[in-house]
Amino acid sequence: MRISLKWLSEYVDLGSLAGGAQQGAPLAPAQPRSAAPVLAAADEVARRLTAVGFEVEAVERVGQGLAGVVAARILASEKHPNAEKLSVTKIDAGQGEPLQIVCGAKNYQVGDVVPLATVGTTLPGGTRIEKAKLRGVESFGMLCSARELGLSEDASGLLILDRGLAPGTPIADALGLEDVLLEVNVTPNRPDALSHVGLAREVAAILGQEVRLPRPALREAGAPAAEAVKVRIEAPEKCARYAARVVEGVKIGPSPQWLARRLEACGVRSISNVVDATNFALLELGHPLHAFDLDKVAGHEIVVRTARPGEKIVTLDGKERALEPDDLLIADRDRGSALAGVMGGGDSEISAGTTRVLVESAWFAPSGIRRTSRRHGLKTEASYRFERGADPGMVIPALDRCAALIAELAGGTVRPGIVDAHPRPHQAPAVRLRWRRPAELLGIDVARDEVRRILAGLGFEERASDADGATFGVPSWRVDVSLEEDLVEEIVRTKGYDAIPETLPANAVRTPVEPADAQVTARAREALEAAGFAEAVNFSFVAERDLAPFADPAATALRPIALKNPISADLAVMRTSLVPSLLRNASTNRRQRVEDVRLYEIARVYRPAPAGAPAPAAEEGELAGVLVGRRSPTGWAGGSDPVDFHDAKAAVAAVLEALGIDARWRARGGAWLHPRLSAEVLGADDAPLGEVGELHPRVAEAFELPRGVLAFRLSGAALVRGARLVPRYAGIPRFPAVLRDLAVVVAEGVEAGAVLAAVREEPLVEDATLFDVYRGPPIPAGKKNLALAIRYRAPDRTLTDTEADAAHARIVARLRGGLGAELRG
Amino acid sequence: MADLLGQLEALAKGAREAVGSAADEKALEDLRVRFLGKKGELSAVLRGMGALPAEERPRVGEVANRVRDEVEALLAGAKSRLDARKLEAELAGPPIDVTLPGRRVLPRGHRHPITRATEDISAIFARLGYEVASGPEIELDWFNFEALNIPPDHPARDMQDTFYVEASTLGDGAPDGSVLLRTHTSPVQIRAMQRLGVPPVRIICPGRVYRSDYDQTHSPMFHQVEGLCVGEGITFADLKGTLAAFARAYFGEGTRTRFRPSYFPFVEPGAEVDVSCSICGGTGRIPVRAQGQAGEPAQTRRCGTCKETGWLEVLGAGMVHPKVLENGGFDPKRYSGFAFGMGVERMAMLRYGIDDLRLYFENDLRFLEQF
Repeated sequence: MRISLKWLSEYVDLGSLAGGAQQGAPLAPAQPRSAAPVLAAADEVARRLTAVGFEVEAVERVGQGLAGVVAARILASEKHPNAEKLSVTKIDAGQGEPLQIVCGAKNYQVGDVVPLATVGTTLPGGTRIEKAKLRGVESFGMLCSARELGLSEDASGLLILDRGLAPGTPIADALGLEDVLLEVNVTPNRPDALSHVGLAREVAAILGQEVRLPRPALREAGAPAAEAVKVRIEAPEKCARYAARVVEGVKIGPSPQWLARRLEACGVRSISNVVDATNFALLELGHPLHAFDLDKVAGHEIVVRTARPGEKIVTLDGKERALEPDDLLIADRDRGSALAGVMGGGDSEISAGTTRVLVESAWFAPSGIRRTSRRHGLKTEASYRFERGADPGMVIPALDRCAALIAELAGGTVRPGIVDAHPRPHQAPAVRLRWRRPAELLGIDVARDEVRRILAGLGFEERASDADGATFGVPSWRVDVSLEEDLVEEIVRTKGYDAIPETLPANAVRTPVEPADAQVTARAREALEAAGFAEAVNFSFVAERDLAPFADPAATALRPIALKNPISADLAVMRTSLVPSLLRNASTNRRQRVEDVRLYEIARVYRPAPAGAPAPAAEEGELAGVLVGRRSPTGWAGGSDPVDFHDAKAAVAAVLEALGIDARWRARGGAWLHPRLSAEVLGADDAPLGEVGELHPRVAEAFELPRGVLAFRLSGAALVRGARLVPRYAGIPRFPAVLRDLAVVVAEGVEAGAVLAAVREEPLVEDATLFDVYRGPPIPAGKKNLALAIRYRAPDRTLTDTEADAAHARIVARLRGGLGAELRG
Repeated sequence: MADLLGQLEALAKGAREAVGSAADEKALEDLRVRFLGKKGELSAVLRGMGALPAEERPRVGEVANRVRDEVEALLAGAKSRLDARKLEAELAGPPIDVTLPGRRVLPRGHRHPITRATEDISAIFARLGYEVASGPEIELDWFNFEALNIPPDHPARDMQDTFYVEASTLGDGAPDGSVLLRTHTSPVQIRAMQRLGVPPVRIICPGRVYRSDYDQTHSPMFHQVEGLCVGEGITFADLKGTLAAFARAYFGEGTRTRFRPSYFPFVEPGAEVDVSCSICGGTGRIPVRAQGQAGEPAQTRRCGTCKETGWLEVLGAGMVHPKVLENGGFDPKRYSGFAFGMGVERMAMLRYGIDDLRLYFENDLRFLEQF
């Protein structure tokens, strides 16, 4: 909400905030006087409003830097001899001699008074005005548009001023241009503060003043309004009150400048005197109003009703809107004239020929307005306030204020009386406050006198009190207050949170347990980071096509969980694997010429939940990684080969080891992996833990990656299930080991794992390490030589060579018999 | 006998001279063989002992042993001198190039700044007795909004542009009512209270949250840490003390906190919490030292982090709204509590000086490798 400080100062005396400067009678519109004390209070007003919950996000000083800009009358204007688009004018700037000024605008007439930036002036935009020669004609200053003066965005022509202004008058003074605009963040619970009077009420409460409400001078004449129009409410649950006044004999025209400028300062465009009057009353009092051309209201009858099936309306923005029965209409005898509380209709719009105006002031139920506003994508100043809750007590004062303004600005007469349909009178709620409650919630005692003073200052009226507490009537504008806690908030808001001390809670603490999944995550992170991986954090939503290669063939769901309103197709479905995000990361990094990529991510993946689950979706942890590039960082100490399957496997093995999980590796991972260069990772009882391997060439291509990219993913749930986080001590061997190497030749198809397993079957084998794999002469084609270092040990005695030899022989026999291995020399 | 003794004497003399001039280990070894080897000079002399009368042999044997000991000692001494000289020479050589980079088999790993900040925040609250809780990211409207005192058609829903989930993709288990991506971690308040059933409740919940807003300063996914403390007699003063302690632990001793009234539907009263700017120390100005200037800098420049206000808005907080306590299964007449929430991206930005939100999710290694 944009607030003009000068406007605000009409309702509350800001002088005491301006460092002792005195403030006189309220500033009347269009009666310029020195604004200095008000403007000096700006920072303090901003600070105090922020302190009571209305955060002032910006303080903007306007109309400054206009020294040297004066009102000037155009005495004559001729075409420039050498330029099509320029004119040469003679100007009276109050200096006796007329000045010659070259001008590019066309929107003036001789006799108009306009702003003149005299030679030596620096305009707010930084332009310095010098004596100049324009196409051979001398010019002694510049005639200005509103934009050049920093007053508005209007650069369409010269700013035309009131002809009554004496030439030479500095325009900042003359127009009262100097002001401070406050950008106030009004939270959704406080619609009552969406106006100058609303915020003035808060400032007045801070300063212990009474807010000065405008007192419209309403002069009624003619036949009663009730004879001119009838009002009927058919949907009282959506419209608790509809009041109307009739102003006759108006002449539609532009608004006076003080009014137009006020609206523009607050971000509202000036349209015509009648429409501006409704907007002025809105910005002043916070209550939305609407003006109809009464002669376009068929049957001179207003019906507040819901839309009929198939009904349409053309709103003021020129759009035809198909309505639903939930939409509330302001209709005449024949059809809808306005989308109630949201936007008027084109048919009954005020136009240049309007002479009779019907002014509407109503109270609409917030939820209905919100639904209509959202359904039609129409957010207006009116809907914004009605959906938050308008002040039922402001319906009539705002109507009177607006009718009086219209009569004053457009020269009409207000017909006597208000046509007022009021099926549901407002019941001001009363809230009980126990005297001890502030202390219970805040931790500080607040004296009863202070409670009473604070609440009274904010308009809460004490209705009854006893030793235990008191009951307070809630003012009609405070739609947010209904509970005892709300009153406590009013108290602390006014006192300030600084009054509360800092303590620590004294409630008990539960057994500090770290959940297993947090421990598993922490260890997995450490293992991966030790293996040189950097952690990535990706969005949880991805493009649906990216997930296709990773679909679980056994899954029943055809599609991943999709968003109804995604940001884009690339962020449209909840990922079922982290791998595609990491592949995108690898691709992006390589485009940035970062060629060695090791990334991991630990996050949730999302799948439909089984029926009856506590949450709408099954969210399980996944750990995934991608690696591509060199095995070791480039350095002087030797070259580095590109990573391959076994580098990826090492990373996965490091994680499993850190979690105390024994794993088995079975050839061939999922469809997204290269069928020859991938594996499935199995835990105890062959429970699947995940997959690792080189990307399938087609998948690599789809993600714009070269061949040779490795990736893995592990199921978080399976890791948590299998993890042995607490190690068991096994006793250090007391007897010496016997070491023997073994070289065997086996067929290519025999896996090293099978050879190692067979070796480990021998009870005396403590450990066996595969230290070489060799193919090539003299080993026959289709075979490979495996070299193993075997450590034999008995737990209870020193092993003799004979015993070790016997064990070694048993192993050789087992390998030969089971795996067709041949002993090599 | 005299002849033999003379030979021994000559041998010893020869050894003294020869060992003294031996230049290296090889020469010493040759000398050992020459004098003491099986076919060496000493052996040759001793072979001559057989011809001596028995009574003379001990005398010659004694001398021979003395000579052997002497030669051995000479050789050992020479060896140790040579070793010392060699070591000295080795130590006195030119140093290696210590500036050559260390040998790295694997690159260093890196933890994402959001994880780092989350861990730091969680650790501080763990020391204050808070457990980590979690809840679903794909959440029911009821937990995300209604249970938190944000009914349908409530304008506070405007504060949070919500992603909704296509119900048909939720499978057979799709619940009644609308399903969304949680817009804040606050629904975990309700879930934690329901799960625990009775006080005390002291939980924090770090996690991903989602809002459909995507531009330079908004990300459709970001991270929050929610906190909740419920019990008997919990007051706003406890909230202030807790967050002040947290702010000092996270931003440094001497950090001040400021509570301003604000509105969140699930707390009453509610507050926004500012901390004194960690960049300029709360002064709003940063000293500028002219080049080569010592002492107090005369000039200052505007602090862009706090926009010269000296304060950073980092937390939302308040006393848990009675309706929220009720929805969590707690009697608001008996229990009270406070809740707070903060944005992890912002906390990390302030800690690490990151100036662009988008960097967090691009996963550019040139960014990640700085952590």
